[in-house]
Amino acid sequence: MRTRMMAAFLVTLLATGIAAATPTEPRRGGSAVVAIGSDPETLNLGITTGYAVGAVAASIFSGLVWIDARGEIQPGLATSWTISPDGLSYAFELRRGVRWHDGRAFSAQDVKFTMEQVTGLYHGRFRPAFQNFEAITVTSPQSLKITLKRPYAPLMRLLSVFDCPILPRHVYQGEDITRHSRNNDPVGTGPFKFREWVRGDRLVLERNDAYWDPVYLDRLIFRIIPGAALRVTALEVGEVDQVADFYLPKTDVDRLKRNPNVRLRLGQPIPSMGFMFINARRAPLDNPKVRRALAMAINRVQIVTQAMGNLARPARGPFGDGFKWAFSPESDYDRLYPYNVERANALLDEAGLPRGAGGERPVRLRMVYDAARAPIAAAAAIIRDNLRAVGITVDLQPMDRAVMIERIYTRPDYELTVQTFTSGGDPAIGYHRIYASAASGVPFVNATGHSNQEVDSLLNRAAEVPDRAARGKIYAQVSQILAAEMPTLMLFDEIGVDATRATLRGVWIGAEARDRWDAVWVQK
Amino acid sequence: MVGDESAETPSAAGGREFWRRFRRSRAGVFGLCLVVLLVVVALAAPLLAPRDPQTTSLVTLNPPGTPGHPLGTDNLGRDILSGVLWGSRVSLTVGVCAAATAVLLGVFIGSFAGFYGGWADAVLGRITELFQVIPRFVLALLVVALFGSGLWKLIAVIGILSWPQAARVVRGQVMALRGAAYVDAARVLGLRNVRIIFSEILPNVLAPVVVIGSLDVAGAILLEASLGFFGLGDPNLVSWGMMLNNAQAHLRQAWWMSVFPGLAISLAVLGFNLMGDGLNDATDPRLGV
Amino acid sequence: MVTAGSTPLWRYAAGRLVQAVPLLLGVIVVNFLLISLAPGDPVATLLGEYPAPPEYVAQLRREFGLDQPAPVRLALYAWNVARGELGFSFAYRLPVATLVAGRLGNTLLLMVTALSLAALVGVGLGVTAARRRGSGLDTAATGISLAGYSIPDFWLSQLLVLLFAVFLGWLPAQGIRSVREEYSGLAAALDSARHLILPAAALSFRYMALISRLTRASMLEAMSQDFILAARARGLPERLVLLQHGLRNAALPVVTVIGYNFAFVLAGSALVETVFGWPGVGRLLYDAMLQRDTPVLLGVLLMVSATVVVVNLLTDLLYAALDPRVRY
Repeated sequence: MRTRMMAAFLVTLLATGIAAATPTEPRRGGSAVVAIGSDPETLNLGITTGYAVGAVAASIFSGLVWIDARGEIQPGLATSWTISPDGLSYAFELRRGVRWHDGRAFSAQDVKFTMEQVTGLYHGRFRPAFQNFEAITVTSPQSLKITLKRPYAPLMRLLSVFDCPILPRHVYQGEDITRHSRNNDPVGTGPFKFREWVRGDRLVLERNDAYWDPVYLDRLIFRIIPGAALRVTALEVGEVDQVADFYLPKTDVDRLKRNPNVRLRLGQPIPSMGFMFINARRAPLDNPKVRRALAMAINRVQIVTQAMGNLARPARGPFGDGFKWAFSPESDYDRLYPYNVERANALLDEAGLPRGAGGERPVRLRMVYDAARAPIAAAAAIIRDNLRAVGITVDLQPMDRAVMIERIYTRPDYELTVQTFTSGGDPAIGYHRIYASAASGVPFVNATGHSNQEVDSLLNRAAEVPDRAARGKIYAQVSQILAAEMPTLMLFDEIGVDATRATLRGVWIGAEARDRWDAVWVQK
Repeated sequence: MVGDESAETPSAAGGREFWRRFRRSRAGVFGLCLVVLLVVVALAAPLLAPRDPQTTSLVTLNPPGTPGHPLGTDNLGRDILSGVLWGSRVSLTVGVCAAATAVLLGVFIGSFAGFYGGWADAVLGRITELFQVIPRFVLALLVVALFGSGLWKLIAVIGILSWPQAARVVRGQVMALRGAAYVDAARVLGLRNVRIIFSEILPNVLAPVVVIGSLDVAGAILLEASLGFFGLGDPNLVSWGMMLNNAQAHLRQAWWMSVFPGLAISLAVLGFNLMGDGLNDATDPRLGV
Repeated sequence: MVTAGSTPLWRYAAGRLVQAVPLLLGVIVVNFLLISLAPGDPVATLLGEYPAPPEYVAQLRREFGLDQPAPVRLALYAWNVARGELGFSFAYRLPVATLVAGRLGNTLLLMVTALSLAALVGVGLGVTAARRRGSGLDTAATGISLAGYSIPDFWLSQLLVLLFAVFLGWLPAQGIRSVREEYSGLAAALDSARHLILPAAALSFRYMALISRLTRASMLEAMSQDFILAARARGLPERLVLLQHGLRNAALPVVTVIGYNFAFVLAGSALVETVFGWPGVGRLLYDAMLQRDTPVLLGVLLMVSATVVVVNLLTDLLYAALDPRVRY
């Protein structure tokens, strides 16, 4: 409880647009309306990494831990834990007296079952970690121990509700988990219980009075609004109370800043980045010189200002600067690849791609991207314009998501693409996949065809070493290779923005706006 | 469609008489002016536009009246006036080419069905119906969303989806004319069917076809803009629909991003609609297309 | 006179419906071919932003029947439809019929409101314009109707949201009912009505324009005809002449526009529903398109086509009832 107050205090400091927080007592009652962009595909958070599912189900389920607004790990279903010095064994004490929404008691067996039968098999982020598990041993109804084959630095972060939500064994055991009927009517241990789902319109949760911390809101309502601009409109006119970063168009933030009824949180602690995959399977992009020329021809500052509404920082290296300890000044893009049309031109000449009579080089590149994402479309337009200045022709090919995934990942048929990935709280969780070559061919990993064994093994090591300083050194090493070979040009580090009506208090004590709705209350 | 049994033989007087009647319709003339204006703008876009419509700059979201940008700039600093001027080319190209495709297909299919009747008419009727029971916009959206966009794809999709109306009208006219005395006469003279269709019947359905063509252009411009609004226009060209799509996210900061391309679409559609009306009145007010 | 020749009405209608069966089969085949020829994997869009476990992907593909060749899937689908089964949504894991049923009412509410509005205002405008042909009122009415016919409805929707929801704050911008408050009875109806105004207005404008143009034209034609001239000559009041004879003729274009444009209204409804977050069939279709939710796409398209077939038939019958000149 104390950490929560502390975190709440910090958030109040962070929040912009509010002169002085009026300290009032949290009040029970009322409801909050949260805008989401689409219906969740299921409410079983254990089988998907879908954003909308997390938005809703994070309040229904609980994880062993949660991540606070400073990015620190806080106790959830686990009240305490000890990690052995070799980093191979994690022992957890679980919270006592916790009950499932259907009244059954929660126990360590639920945790073991969830990891072995659900998240370890089906969850995109948890599964890779689970494959490194040696064993999960239930030591008592309220304690368990996880042993690993190799150390894995970011494990604790993968125990949050978004990565390993604990599911009820008594509901799912022996049943078809992915097609279970309770996936649409879930039973959790979280602060809110499922009440109603009107598809295409709204999803309603109600307070779980048996939750271990006080829960203030009577109801937590999710409103499905597909249009980004309309989500903001709904926030401004008070039809919804909160729009989280993922659903908030950056270009509206300036206007929201001036709205006294809206508060913003700028820069959440979970970094995420936008970047451009360069398909190295295709000439002349197989030539690192050409890729480096692209890096200098593209104006990252312009992308940040115009496509991202200044809610991003120009990327400064292969892992950005979101994780200070993983940033290496030797591979600083600002030094290596400043925006410089002349040097880009010179490199392209050197690479044997001279300008023709019309000033155009014999290079025509297809830029494939997700048509539904306005900032990415804007970045693509800027890149096309930037590259035109150095004589390279870019054809824009916006696609809908299903086709984009196929054209980029499963059947690579593109030259350039702009993508954004979230780090998931640790470079090993979310950023390694940008460069590692092992998983190539499946969605949302390295799609460049570039493969370097040294990079792969350095990345593996960076995931195992628990000490941040030591990890930082490995990232410096791998950054140097990546900056030189430039398989992927990082474009920007996003600055996340969450927006809420000022009447909602106690918001954002978690790193994610989707998390910790128990602490939220409505000010009269 | 109710066939007009009392179709007259062609009046060769055509041209001047037609123009005289067309001129009587003020709305039609106004429409024609709008269309001419659109054509002129499209042809002269490179001369009229102050700058390249796709060149970005750091002068973002400037309101109309900014020096050098009379209609303001968009979120990437592109000039709105230049975009509106250049956008006329896409609208006009798609509108005219798609309508031409639709009308050609419609005339071909309609006259075939109308002339031969019976079995051919039934088959073609079924195909026409098939196209009519799936909403055109939905099918266009589906095709373009699934297979990707591009100028020629848009023209093909819109053209292919728009022929039933022309086919229906032509079929009706041809059926009515088939029994006309002069067609019988041609048949007696031993002219081949194809020849009869081309030389005796088609000239007589020209008038309604021109009317439908004009309205089809309006429809095609609107359909192209709708697809553009869903982000499915040709991504490498400046089009009004895509400008509107882009404006959506900036509506409150920059009304000019939405208002000028929206007006441009409305005027272009209005022009072709009015012209079509005028043509319709000048040919046969009872046609009811 | 609704019997056509010697064929009773019901036999004609039944015949038309039987003819519609191959038509709908054609619709299924065309849509199925389009969707299965298109690039893009439905499974890939369902599994979030991180690489999903390959076994899970394979399992889903089996579950969805995507491991079968396309002709087999088409045959299976057609067989299921024949048995009245529309299949399961990939994205929602619910029967397509349930999903569609949940949305159909909303779309019909929107369409019926919009079309009633269009018919009322359109006929009013058209009659007025025809009565005072050439007056300033006629010009104004014509201007309005031409504007309505030329302004894209998505643009109009945006302008309406800006004006009435954002700047004036009179009406809600989104959705079908307030989510914060739970109303019941009359209050709930009023609440829904407030949400209905903007989307219905946006959707109706175009059809209002069409109806008013056609009403004006057919009124003018009717009024120049012998029976009206005769009625006038008999000294019947102008208003009565208009009502008795003119409006009967005006009913024709209204029926025609509504009937034959039903497919277009449905499509327009998809656009408007998307802009206003109206949870109807149109938006279900659009979402299904983005998610490659093949069963929902096929199901909605089929249902739309079937509706159009039925509405077209009804329109023809009504047309015949209104216009005795028409025979089958």
